[in-house]
Amino acid sequence: MSGIVLRPRAAFSARVDLSGVTPAVLSALSLPEIERLPVPCGGRRPALAELFFVENGPGEGVLLIEGGDARLDHVGAGLAGGEIIVDGPVGAFAGRGMSGGVLRIAGAAGDFLGAELSGGRIEVAGNAGAHAGAATSGSRRGMSGGVLRIHGSAGVRLAERQRGGLIVVAGDADEGLGTDMIAGTVAVAGSIGARAGRGMKRGTVLARSLPALPAGFVDTGTHDLVALRLLARRVADLAGMLDGSGTARRLVGDTLLGGQGEVLVLG
Amino acid sequence: MIINGVEIRDSFAEAFPMVGTRLIITADTAEWALIAGRTTTGFATSVIGCGCEAGIEREIPAEETPDGRPGVAILIFAMDFGSLKKVVPLRLGQCVLTCPTTACYAGVEGGKRVPLAKTIRYFADGHQISKKIGDRRFWRMPVMEGEFVCDDDTGSVEGVGGGNILILARSRGQALAAAEAAAAAMRQVPGVILPFPGGVVRSGSKVGSKYKALFASTNDAYCPTLRGAVPSALPAEVGSVLEIVIDGVSFAAVEQATRIGIEAVCAIGAAGGVVAIDAGNYGGNLGPYHFKLRPIMAAGTAEAAL
Repeated sequence: MSGIVLRPRAAFSARVDLSGVTPAVLSALSLPEIERLPVPCGGRRPALAELFFVENGPGEGVLLIEGGDARLDHVGAGLAGGEIIVDGPVGAFAGRGMSGGVLRIAGAAGDFLGAELSGGRIEVAGNAGAHAGAATSGSRRGMSGGVLRIHGSAGVRLAERQRGGLIVVAGDADEGLGTDMIAGTVAVAGSIGARAGRGMKRGTVLARSLPALPAGFVDTGTHDLVALRLLARRVADLAGMLDGSGTARRLVGDTLLGGQGEVLVLG
Repeated sequence: MIINGVEIRDSFAEAFPMVGTRLIITADTAEWALIAGRTTTGFATSVIGCGCEAGIEREIPAEETPDGRPGVAILIFAMDFGSLKKVVPLRLGQCVLTCPTTACYAGVEGGKRVPLAKTIRYFADGHQISKKIGDRRFWRMPVMEGEFVCDDDTGSVEGVGGGNILILARSRGQALAAAEAAAAAMRQVPGVILPFPGGVVRSGSKVGSKYKALFASTNDAYCPTLRGAVPSALPAEVGSVLEIVIDGVSFAAVEQATRIGIEAVCAIGAAGGVVAIDAGNYGGNLGPYHFKLRPIMAAGTAEAAL
């Protein structure tokens, strides 16, 4: 069947949970069935059609949410395939636990964007809230795969307990970047807030300028790293950040906790 | 069939299935990439004694390599996948890891996976760093010179080993000149290697020996100094025979190399002392791939006429 378009009927009176509203789920249902889907909203579970005009749209396997809203939570949560496009902002937990597919957000995203992402791709045109790519409450591991691309800036504790995958931030990253990071890669083109990398075990933070790091980081000096040349050519998302020269200052930590993570300051 | 005075004998090369892989080795300079490639493919002329057959497929300009440095592509072939999985990490560890400035990348995407850094990463003694982005993983291994970067594994192909041509010439010098020309032309074919020294074999073998311990022995029917003493395949005017062995990633690649090699020899022709082109086989009962010289050259001639 063709794609689906959700157009909000009015401003939302409470937070809406769009968990499970994915192209895969919708493609198995008829339009009337989709309209009757119960959606948590505040303390109620109204039908989807009570909140949105539901229409067929162009593009097989595509779900378009027109307008977007900062009260729309869990947009694309659990997405395993297909594409969700939001032409506005989204609330918290967008793309949480995604394992495949593409989530494009034209506006800003709330907290826990791409939390525990294991595959697929998230693109956010605006800023992201706190804990992007991180672990949610009670979880030991954050993002473990896939790509999270934030074209604005990211809030506090970006990549907290990240286990794998790639996060690229075009703007700044707030305090606590990569706290307790386990593995994976985060690239931040702008400035990095205080206490980055505290408790870092493994993983790589790519930075353009030297951030304020905890005492557990040791400076190994400046090196010509072939790995950076490889990343610049093999990973298109990093091509803009890496100039291909391969030169970087390498700081290793958090050694106070036995960690071997690294902050690579480019150029 | 006679081309430019050279007889193309009604014979065929008998080849065998082999399992192979391609590695892309880069370095700070083309010279060091070539040194790594030559070292890694050294002592790899025949599976009989070396465990694998390997060679440099081509040099790669910097703009085409994964890290933007000059490189070489090498092909390594073994008789079965188990052997390939053993020899590739061994050569990688001894010849590429040790070579200044090099990095090593997968040169084949599909097929069964052959371990690269997946095996040798332990040399880094816990300081190895894995980086997996998308579905590709590579490793960074700290070494005294800096870091050795290497893909986790590479793919493999079911190729063809043992394609060959025999160049029968009037003298040793003329045979060598023809063989050098053929090898130079054949190296331009993508997907093939000529694993013997300079691409040329002077000691072609037959199966078996009078000595029980040997699987192969000198191909006496083509030894000019034995003509008359044994059943010989050489006419009186032939004073020297050289062989070119071809391994390739596909039947088509080996076939193309065969044709181009023969064309290069025939371009030298009878005037250059070449008498005939022949090929080594075992009667057709051992190897499933037969490269029949006359049909190959007839097809080449037909293509050229089009």
